[in-house]
Amino acid sequence: MAFIRQMLTVAAKDLRSEVRTKEAINASLSFALVILLLFSFAFDPTSETTREIAGGLLWLAFAFAGVLVLNRSFARELPNDCLDMLNASPVPGAALFLGKALANYVLLLGIELVCLPVFGVFYNVTWYRHLGELVLVLLLATWGVTVVGTVFSALTVNLRLREIMLPMLMYPVLIPCLMAAMRLSTVLIGGEPITGDDVAWLRLLIGFDIIFTSLAVVLIDTVLIG
Amino acid sequence: MSDSEARNFQYLAYGLIACWVILVAYVLTLAARGKRLGRQLENVQRMMEDREGK
Amino acid sequence: MGMREKVMVVLGAVAAMLLTRNIWVMLTQLPDEAFQGAIFRIIFFHVPAAFTCFLCFFLALVAGIVYLAKKSLQWDAFAVSVTEVGLAFGAINLISGMIWARIIWGIWWTWDWRLTSMLVCWLLYAGYLVLRRAVEETTERARLGAVMLILNFSVVPFVFFSIKWFRTQHPQPVLFGEGKMDGIYREMLYGNWVPLLMIAAVLVLLRMKQENQQREIDALRRAAHSF
Repeated sequence: MAFIRQMLTVAAKDLRSEVRTKEAINASLSFALVILLLFSFAFDPTSETTREIAGGLLWLAFAFAGVLVLNRSFARELPNDCLDMLNASPVPGAALFLGKALANYVLLLGIELVCLPVFGVFYNVTWYRHLGELVLVLLLATWGVTVVGTVFSALTVNLRLREIMLPMLMYPVLIPCLMAAMRLSTVLIGGEPITGDDVAWLRLLIGFDIIFTSLAVVLIDTVLIG
Repeated sequence: MSDSEARNFQYLAYGLIACWVILVAYVLTLAARGKRLGRQLENVQRMMEDREGK
Repeated sequence: MGMREKVMVVLGAVAAMLLTRNIWVMLTQLPDEAFQGAIFRIIFFHVPAAFTCFLCFFLALVAGIVYLAKKSLQWDAFAVSVTEVGLAFGAINLISGMIWARIIWGIWWTWDWRLTSMLVCWLLYAGYLVLRRAVEETTERARLGAVMLILNFSVVPFVFFSIKWFRTQHPQPVLFGEGKMDGIYREMLYGNWVPLLMIAAVLVLLRMKQENQQREIDALRRAAHSF
């Protein structure tokens, strides 16, 4: 019980400071929109071609924009030695990690919530025909991105060139998760339900989330304290 | 030997050479690192002697 | 000459002998494969290189876990050495595969699941080396590196399965039939793996020695500064 309360306290603290300063969310959101705009020059943006690659487009935009949020997650604690204070506090590393991951999760989902309708308008795609399943995919895949991203955010927080290291290390690990998300989103935005072979992708997403969440919780003390 | 067979052999040679070139390149990086280590060791030794001389 | 150097020289010499014999047998004794002609012989380096590469990556995982358990920098030196050697053999696998594909498929690269997975794994472990370069302090470098090795290896099965599913749902060039390989060929395949493993072992030993030397030099330098 105390664990959950501590976790929520950390998450609330991060979200509150983000809502007040808006340092990551503004940059990230406008970056996502710029990427969505740039994609229109990469191919002929008719609704047929877009439907075929819709999942890929969306998740690339989410992944690129997400890095900006994840980068700030632990870096925000560097000034005034806040990270050392957090480590010294009675909050266990796992609660700190899950709290931060939860805050990032909310922020990333917020960005996705704004991007989806914009995407639908820009590219003339009715994306909400299988809304329930699409939301499920978004929730699962975003958690995968968040949990891996937050671990790597902790891993790279003390490095020189942190901003470059994080995406470089994070994206290869995220490939299976992003691939499943792209595939499933393309199917759903194309207007078809998840059936047959595609159920395997859903299982893969769930497996990815479970394995990396447990690994992260086990390893986070090693990363933060040693 | 027909043209395609000759090309086949040529690419076999390329393939085998490429394998060895990669290994040799790795060994060369090892050698370079060894040389750098030797230089560093000399520097440190000189530094130690200077300190002891004072 | 220390024990380790002797082992290295012996391993290297035996590997050279075995390789000379294998290449000779390969080029003069073995008949051409019916469909592929001479080029199929690349497989005797291509496949054992992949085996060696993944063996190295697995050993790196073991080294990472043991390091976290024992905090002995020896294991960190072992981890970075096997990763580097694994990457070298991974590169051999990729490049020789591309040269083979140029003849058989007529293209240098295709997004076949095996090629793609190998490339992703290569990038994952290259990322480990990049991470190490960015960390100054020795124990921190070893610790973060070990964590990254664990994360990397956990994602490898996901990479293989997902890319396989992804690619089998898309058109791809027709591969050679995955029938049984002839006995003599299989014998040569594994026979050639032995010397490659020996070479890998020699390289790992060399690299480990350097890593340990580097640490000693750094310690000496700190001692000199603190006088």
